Amino acid sequence: MVEGIDQMDPAVRERLEQLALGHIDALYRTALRMTRNATDAEDLVQEAYLRAFRSLYQFTEGTNLRAWLFRILTNTYINDYRRRQRRPTSASLDGIEEFYLYDHLVDSRVQPRAERPEDVVLQQLTVDDVTRAIEALPEEFRQVVLLADVEGFAYREIADIVDIPVGTVMSRLFRARRRLQRQLYDTAVEAGIIREEAAHG
Amino acid sequence: MDDCRETMHRLYQFLDRELSDEDQREVRAHLAHCPPCQDLFRFEENVLLFIGETCRKTAAPPSLHDKVRKLCLD
Repeated sequence: MVEGIDQMDPAVRERLEQLALGHIDALYRTALRMTRNATDAEDLVQEAYLRAFRSLYQFTEGTNLRAWLFRILTNTYINDYRRRQRRPTSASLDGIEEFYLYDHLVDSRVQPRAERPEDVVLQQLTVDDVTRAIEALPEEFRQVVLLADVEGFAYREIADIVDIPVGTVMSRLFRARRRLQRQLYDTAVEAGIIREEAAHG
Repeated sequence: MDDCRETMHRLYQFLDRELSDEDQREVRAHLAHCPPCQDLFRFEENVLLFIGETCRKTAAPPSLHDKVRKLCLD
């Protein structure tokens, strides 16, 4: 038995465990988008909770439990899953830096013509469309988009969770969002929400 | 100084509420009299909100709740 666990006040431990359980939905949906597989996501979340409960004595009460759990989830993912999946991780982080979706939607050659065509398009995209677009992002991009745009973490928190400098969080997030919009645009074209004329692009 | 360019540069920091109060005021001041920048900011904000809302609809399955709760008891 680890010494630290024995020394922990059982009441404190139980309270922290209950608080940690409150974050299961957020951890699961992040795990699901990272592993792109429900079974792997469940395994990953269980493993992360197991590690968290075992090292709960290292957690300082009053600090950010949610960020602490996400950090454990991220480390568990990197150690256990990324290695196993053997996917190229940094495929190509280059790319699209312009406001692709916006620029193309306000372009008159893009249908449907509407006063605010961009809003019309968003309303028609389904959960599956968005999920597919996110899952198509390179891992590093997916990670920051999930932490920032889905879970609402601040740049500083993301930097701590992923273990990268704040400046890297910002540049990665910028490029990730641009790339995601490109994916959403392509999805909208494929789904027939936007009709592109042949001459375009 | 190119105001639009400078404002565009702060787009995400502004939407993510990561700017200082002073910088935030500057961006707001520019947006107030620049409809094209306003449109882009509004659109970008809508996309981010849309992505967040859509993705947060996913919840952990009940069976996972049970499994994780059991880990507490060890």
